[in-house]
Parts: sequence; C-alpha cells; structure tokens
Amino acid sequence: MELKEIKCSHCGHDNPPGTQLCQSCGKMINEDYDKKKIKDLMRYDGSAVRSKVRSQSIFDKIWNFFTSIKVGVSIIALIAISAAVGTILPQEYFIPIGADPLQHYTEQYGTFGRLYYELGFTQLYSSWWFVLLMGMLALSLVAASIDRGVPLYKSLKNQRVKKHASFFKRQRLFTEYDSADIAPELAKSFEAKKYKLRTDGNHYLFEKGRLSRWGPYINHTGLIILLIGSMLRFFPGVYIDEIIYAQEGETVSIPTTEGKYYMRNDGFTLDTYDEESGTVFDQSLQNNQAMTISNFQTDITMFENKTADIVGSSPELEEIEDYSIRVNHPYRFDDYELYQSSYDNSQMKSMTFRLEDSEGNVLGENFEVSLDDPADSYEITEDITINMKAYSPDFLEIDENGTLISATPVPTNPAFVFEVAAGDKNELSLLQIMNSTDITPENEYSIKFVEAEEHMASVLTLKKDLAMPIIATGFVIFLIGLFIGSYINHRRIWINAEDGTMNLAAHTNKNYFGMKKEMDAVLKSHNLHEVFDKQAKEENDKLKG
Amino acid sequence: MKKGTRKIIRTGTIITIAALLGLTLYLNLRDGSQTVNVGDEAVDFKLETLDGEQIQLSEITKDKGVIINFWGTWCKPCREEMPEMNQVYNEGHEDYEIIAVNVSENNQQIEQFISGLSEDLDYPIALDTNRSVTKAYNIGPLPTTIAINKDGEVVKKQEYQLTKEDIYAFIDESLE
Repeated sequence: MELKEIKCSHCGHDNPPGTQLCQSCGKMINEDYDKKKIKDLMRYDGSAVRSKVRSQSIFDKIWNFFTSIKVGVSIIALIAISAAVGTILPQEYFIPIGADPLQHYTEQYGTFGRLYYELGFTQLYSSWWFVLLMGMLALSLVAASIDRGVPLYKSLKNQRVKKHASFFKRQRLFTEYDSADIAPELAKSFEAKKYKLRTDGNHYLFEKGRLSRWGPYINHTGLIILLIGSMLRFFPGVYIDEIIYAQEGETVSIPTTEGKYYMRNDGFTLDTYDEESGTVFDQSLQNNQAMTISNFQTDITMFENKTADIVGSSPELEEIEDYSIRVNHPYRFDDYELYQSSYDNSQMKSMTFRLEDSEGNVLGENFEVSLDDPADSYEITEDITINMKAYSPDFLEIDENGTLISATPVPTNPAFVFEVAAGDKNELSLLQIMNSTDITPENEYSIKFVEAEEHMASVLTLKKDLAMPIIATGFVIFLIGLFIGSYINHRRIWINAEDGTMNLAAHTNKNYFGMKKEMDAVLKSHNLHEVFDKQAKEENDKLKG
Repeated sequence: MKKGTRKIIRTGTIITIAALLGLTLYLNLRDGSQTVNVGDEAVDFKLETLDGEQIQLSEITKDKGVIINFWGTWCKPCREEMPEMNQVYNEGHEDYEIIAVNVSENNQQIEQFISGLSEDLDYPIALDTNRSVTKAYNIGPLPTTIAINKDGEVVKKQEYQLTKEDIYAFIDESLE
C-alpha cells in the first residue's frame, strides 16, 4: 500500500503519512491515536511518530536510529558503564612517571591489567571508542530534541481554546457542573492564580508554566555545550597538563610556551608541624610515625624570553616576578597555572671525601666533588693536591686504555680515579661508593668517602584549560534545564460553559495531586464541588480489590 | 517543517557531528611525539662547541650538507663509530660538515671520553647542555644520525651505530 500525505481537515496542511496530530494546527488526525492512553496522553502532544514512518535516504535512517529513546538510553548506559569500569584500575596519569604503561599494568595486574590497557580503559576519556560514544550521544541529543521539540513547540503555539466534548472526558481531571453562570467569576479566580487566560466564546483555556516543557531541551542544550567544551580539550593549545622538573637553582623553559617563558627554582621548602607546640594537636602528631608535613613550597622566579628563540641558543631572559608556589596556591600567568605537585631528592648532587695518611690521620679539609660538573683538582693542603683523572657517573667497567666506562649518564653508581700529588710523588686510586682499590703499589694515602648530598628538585604541574568556562557554562545550563523540567509544572485548564452546563478538564505534565489541590481550593471558594480525578479513583478501586 | 528544511537540518547535523568527531579522533590519535622524519624540514639551532665557538645549522646548510650525530659518552656504539667518522671526515669535507651533538653532559666527561678515543676528533663537538636540540629533534636512542641537505631538509636518519659504508651513504645523501 502506498503511503499518502494526509491533508488536515481543519487547516489544510499536508502532513507526512502516518501523522497522528496535524503538524500545523495540532488537530487530531487519527481519532484512535490516544484512546488507549490516559496517563501520558499529552506528554509530547505533536509526537515524534512522524520520523519513524518512512525512511528515505541514509541520513534519514541514521537520524531515525538516533531519535529513538532506546538508543539514547543505551548510549548513556554504555557511557556510565565504561566510566565505572574506568575506575577499577588507576588511570595512566596516576602510574609512576616514565613507566611504560603496558609493562606497568601487566606487572601490577596481570592479564586483566594488560587487557584493560589494550582496550583503552587506562586513558578512558581519550580512548577512541569513548570519544565515539560521546559523539553518538551528541547526535542522539540533537536528533531527539529537534524531532520532539519542534512538533511540541508548534502544537503548544497553535493550541485551540475550543475543545471537543470527547477531549474533556479523556482528561484525568474532569468534572461537569449544572450551571454555567459561574464561569466568568471562576476565570478571574484562576487568573489570580497566575494562569494566563484565552477565551473563544464560552470556551476558556487557562495555562501556566509552559516553560516546564522546555526544561529537557534546555538541559540538552547544556549537555551539547558541555560536549563541545570537552571536545575542544583535544584541540592543540586548549588543554595542557604537563610536568615540570626543576632542581634547586636550575632554570628551565616552560613547555608549550615555545620558549617564551622560563622559570628558575630558587629553593624548595618542606615544613613539618611542631610536635611540641603545646597545642591540642601534639598528641596526634606524636602518634603519627612519619613527620606531618604542613607546607610544600617552591620559590620561583619567572622570566620572559626577549630574544627570537633559536633552539639551543642561550636566551636573553628578563625577570618578571618572584612567587612562592604552595599547595593550592598556584602561580598564574597568561592562561597557565603552575601547581606544586611533589619533590624529588633521589638524584645525587655531590660526594664528599677526606684524605688520610697510612696511619689514619685526616689531612687537610674534606673535599666535595660535584657529580654534574666535577672540578679537575682539589687543594687539600699546601703540599698535597688531589687530581681527578677519571670519573664515571654510573660505573660499568674499565676500558682497555684505562678510562672508566659508564652505563648511563645518571650518577647512580659513581666511580672516580683520584691522583694524590704530594710533592714529586703521585699515587693513583680507584674509588667506588663501597670499594676503593689502589692502582699504584703501596699507597701511602687513602681517600675515604664521607657523605653524599642529593639534589632537591621540585616537581610542578603546568595546567591550562581554555575549555573550562565553556564546560562550566554547559553544566550550569544543564542544571537550569533540569530544575525547570523538574520543579515547574505545565498546567492547563479548559472550561466549556455552553448550553447551561459547565465542563471543566485539566492537564498537567506532572504533579496531578498539586494541581487538584490548587483547583479544589478555587472551586471551593465558589461553592463548587471538587474536581474528579480519574486515576486516583482507579487506584482506590484497585486497592479495595 | 518543510521537507527541504528538514532534509537540510538532518543532513547538516549528521555531517557536522561526524566531521567534529572525526577531527577530535584525528587530533587525539595523532602521534603526540612529533618525531623528525626523512622529508621534514630540519629545525634550525645554535649551539656552543667544545672549543667555545657558536655554530648555527642554517649558516652551514647555506652551502654545505650537514650530518648531525647525537651522542653520549656512556654510549658504546658512539665510542666505536666516532673514530671512523673522523677518518672519513679527514678524507676531505669541503662540501659537507659533521656536527657531533653531545646530549647534556659536562665538559669533564666529554674531554675524558675524547682523550680515551683512538683518534683526535677533528669535527666540531656541539654541546646541547639543556637538551633543547635533542628535544626539538625528538631523539630517542643514541647514537642517532641525521643527514640534512642544502635545502635544510632531513634526507636520512639512522638510530643505531654507523658502519663506514653508512657514513659514506650519509655524506652522499646530504650532497644530493
């Protein structure tokens, strides 16, 4: 059977096949349409059914698929489930810096961890399928909103005051009165309740809270804005979350500023609470095995690069500002924020040695060797100088030609060849942290390890998020929509005061109890009996059995 | 809604969302570390050499091909390939230059390393103290060698030890 367009008998508008209510004037075309339904009869007035009738192009098919409530709910459910699964293991930005994620997850959590990583759960919000789900959610929101919102808007805009008697009977709140004389008085009372009144002869339509119907669409708009905001985070330069590692005294370039900004770590401070301060907290502070830290702080100096930056060339820096970064007190510049994240003192900075003679007497001052940039010689006394002949930061072996070979450039296992030059006598010895070997025979002097000092480095987090205002706006709009949809009731009352009787029917999109109460109060003030609630009666009957 | 309007809205919405989704996925899945590859334009840099001179890539590529060799004192293949590079270099280097970029080590270590080699190195050793050049070129393993032609384009790259044949091949590429 070929589907034909349906001409509205009332206004003459051509409606697509399958239309139940006229798209133009809202008149019911299919009289059987809402016979079986009472409860949510007018939730969508114009209804979305038209989009499900005949598919033409691939775009229509896609569109119809995404307008389905079932599909929309499934997408939301999938997003919720993935987000929940994403909390089972820590996300990738919580694993140790520099660790290989695949290796880390496999070692820590076995096959499950590996699978978890392979499926992209370790970086949930940027895994391709999660982004895809978000896109599908966006399409579902837009399609459903347009498909339902447009007909709803039209049907509410074009609603007629005059309704057929059968319409009155179908409403949940419906009552008949013997006299029609009271109608104008009643109208005034309802207007006093902030109802807007429209009349058509002896027909009255009272309406308030229509805004309630737009709640879901405002809500959807907020979500779309929110999704746009989170999408922008993937765009270059919009969202930055980087780690800056700076040793005390070190000047580093601030990543992503393309060499425009530099910062110097002027010192890291770690304060602890005083356990004997005489306050009520002393006891609990002493109970805590470790020290209780009161402050992490990095003092920084910010610089701006004034030269055109060629990579590698030493920049001409101009000091901008000094600041003390503490936890929750980031340094702000441009759109960036620098947060105190952690500190690191695992890198060795220097080692101190002393020189002893064969009888164990300490000679001269102790000498300190910088592991990053060691000096060539150290003056011990007027007669004795120690020369550093070789140094390896991470000692591996001695080469054929006598040089020390390092496994890595990081000073984790330093080894030195020192030459003690006393007058015309030279002695050589190899020193490792736990071990020292005489190279020349029968050495008179020995060099002993005294102490090591570590680098104190601050770890800062650099953040920038230009999408945040958009996301926040979207979220606020979302909440406003939710509020409007939940707390405002769209109430309509129809009165037909023809032929000496008065029919009264009412509809609301939520809270029939509240509406009945409001109406009953008005009716009572005019000495009219209460409005009849069809459904309440049905439920009472059910309860009575 | 008119049929035409409806079609435009539907098609427009679907295409817009699909395009934005595609763009987002592209930006997301694109390799974050932009490794320098053959065919890329070489990033210009200016470094100080061990002898205290300033060396700038773009100045040299004006009339010479350039071979950049990133190395470290602790790297064994570097120790083996550098004397051979020096031998080739001394056969004549009128039309090309070798720059050996040391990755962030101190002078003591570099001098100790050089004095331990079987040859005295005649080509310039550039000092990338804060790794800025190493980062700009996104160098992974050491040694990594890159050939750059006179147009300032990366023409060859190798991330392991060079044989003598490799060195000649790099020179040839840089002169093309």
